[in-house]
Amino acid sequence: MAIMRYAEALNAALREEMGRDPRVFMFGEDIGRYGGVFKVSRGLMDEFGEGRIRDTPISEQALTAMAVSAAMTGTRPILEIMYADFVPLCMDALVNQASVFGYLWEGQIEIPFVLRTQGGGGVGTGAQHAKSLDVFLAHIPGIKVVAPVTPADAKGMLKAAIRDPQPVIFLEHKLLYNTRGEVANEEDVLVPLGKARVAISGTDISIFASSKMVVEAEAAAKLLAKDGIGAEVIDLRTLRPLDLSAIKASIAKTHHAVVVNEGWNFCGYVSELSATIMDHCFDDLDAPVSRVAMPDMPIPYSEPLEAAVIPNASRIAEAARRTLA
Amino acid sequence: MATPIRVDSAGGEYMENVVILEWAVGLGSSVTAGETLVTVETAKAATDIDAPVDGYLTAIFAEPGAEVPLSAVLGLIGVTAGDTAFDGELDEASASDEERSETIHPQPERVAPDPSTSEDRIVASPAARRQAARLGLDLRRLGASSPSGRIKLRDLPAQGTLVESRPVAALPVDDNGPLSVYRSGRESGVPILLIHGFGADAVSWSPIERELARQAPVIRLDLPNHGQSPHRRVGRFANLARDITKAFDDLCVEDVHLVGHSLGGASALALADVRPRRVASLTLIAPGGLGPRIDGEFIEGLARASCPDSLGPWLRHMVCDPKMIGDDFVRAAMASRMDAGLRAAQLQMARDLFPDATQGFDLRAALERLECPTRLIWGRSDAILPWQHALAAPGRVGLHLFEATGHAPQLERTDAVLAILRAQIALSGVRA
Repeated sequence: MAIMRYAEALNAALREEMGRDPRVFMFGEDIGRYGGVFKVSRGLMDEFGEGRIRDTPISEQALTAMAVSAAMTGTRPILEIMYADFVPLCMDALVNQASVFGYLWEGQIEIPFVLRTQGGGGVGTGAQHAKSLDVFLAHIPGIKVVAPVTPADAKGMLKAAIRDPQPVIFLEHKLLYNTRGEVANEEDVLVPLGKARVAISGTDISIFASSKMVVEAEAAAKLLAKDGIGAEVIDLRTLRPLDLSAIKASIAKTHHAVVVNEGWNFCGYVSELSATIMDHCFDDLDAPVSRVAMPDMPIPYSEPLEAAVIPNASRIAEAARRTLA
Repeated sequence: MATPIRVDSAGGEYMENVVILEWAVGLGSSVTAGETLVTVETAKAATDIDAPVDGYLTAIFAEPGAEVPLSAVLGLIGVTAGDTAFDGELDEASASDEERSETIHPQPERVAPDPSTSEDRIVASPAARRQAARLGLDLRRLGASSPSGRIKLRDLPAQGTLVESRPVAALPVDDNGPLSVYRSGRESGVPILLIHGFGADAVSWSPIERELARQAPVIRLDLPNHGQSPHRRVGRFANLARDITKAFDDLCVEDVHLVGHSLGGASALALADVRPRRVASLTLIAPGGLGPRIDGEFIEGLARASCPDSLGPWLRHMVCDPKMIGDDFVRAAMASRMDAGLRAAQLQMARDLFPDATQGFDLRAALERLECPTRLIWGRSDAILPWQHALAAPGRVGLHLFEATGHAPQLERTDAVLAILRAQIALSGVRA
């Protein structure tokens, strides 16, 4: 084991997988010579050459179609989209190509590519560079969406995503790159996609979150513990497919649920979680599910205003107390 | 036989309805095949509908402004001016505008009752419903502790609690610590000491205590194995009397007006017997110890009760009018008995003090010996301890017998009992 930053863990995963499989290559804006705006691909161009680490012009639409085509023709592309805010530009290739080609051609082709991107707010990047559009992507059948929070999961899940035969969207968060944690050095430590993780164990209320919101949920659990409330924090890790058994097991224990996502509330990922819990755990519920999400509005550029709207530990704790009342 | 005028030909993509704009031909006019009859508006454009055959426009089913489905018949072209014979389906176009609009926006025949306003609707969480079903409890008899008004799991006894209490939990090691004492009311004056009955606790005095506290210091205590007092095997009544005497001595008060109910009445009488000079007056409400009879099933049932459904019937048995024991009262009483250890200790105490459904102690001689002003209050419908026991009292003791009153006159006749207590205090102690 080694202590690594989240960005370093991703870099290690990329290096290992590119070394392991010559079909793996990566492209995107400023990822080569510059090493990526968050330095995730630092040093990879030197190591693997301009053929396998490619700087591209700004055209998310073309890049995504390129990833789909390259995957169809036998390579394992990794595409970096610099900001999740621009995922809507990628949508046609995802919704009308990547997610349906396997079906249209009766499984004769596989489309194994990874689209890495980062979203989230908290550093004053404004209404066009701070959004969490998880639900846009998780809405599409046939595409996996993951959003790990720990460096260990970042490495293990990126490796699993690169080896996965399906399209995988890998969601990162700009405030996680610098976080540190223990990470396995070994090349073959994969973290399976589709499995949630119990971040904190508790018996009174379940808080379901992913990515940076797990950090907030853990802080909320500490606040609640001061009131004698034992909150269980479930790190979903994979947004689609959902780990239903983990959700059911936790609610069978706590009978109360708060669902958290940094994206908008209306038709949000939280809404899907809430409905799923209602579908599968109704008789276990002792109170309605509470949603904690971004209010339905643009993300303010002003940092105090931004801080006022992004879901945080105190809002999560407040929702938990309300649910338990 | 008339020919129907249909919209089909005006159809386009993604359309289910058209709107009638205007009829180019009046009702009854003759028409020629190919002549424009009516203009309809589709999503994309206004479209003319032409006459399919020669004849007379003998019927118009869709007036301008009406929205009709593509399959509708708009009107009829008859062979003669009076020919409206048509054996096909007229579909919705033949309906009047009012009926048609109902077709387009169907109204449900019966409106479901609004759950929030229906008194029959029980608001309970799904988990609470399932737990109630498992335990065989009626949710109607439970109250909600949540500000939402929704019955939640915590309002029901946990399944584990029931399992734990049947059979009764093993008794732990005796705790010989002091009894719980509560003081309230005025600072000066002769205190009034209240001793509750079996299965109750100091809190059960609340209406009486609140009133008395306005005029005197009030002291309440919890019997052993009751309320907040320690749990221990009492064994014989003499031991209970010793506990009460010790608690009294520890109060460090000069003298008291002593009031006891049921087993607490017996305790008060025993205390007055050993500390006669310090008891300014004695008021016994349906006290024990004045005869052998007691409803043993009540005592056992009360001690065992581990959920509102088993506690409620016994509480109602205690009073003359069961309606005065509401669900909230039962739930509050149950809340103070949720500790399985407390229930087990009380059950043991009941078996020790009332073996074979008999009051195993006799205090009639003590009552004989008393010199302080003493009154007995009893309900003539007392189903637990028969009021006739009061007849054992010597003539010096005042008797207050209430009609239509059960084993809890202080609950059932609060005002009258308060008046008796005030008179008792006024008559017996200048310092009160």
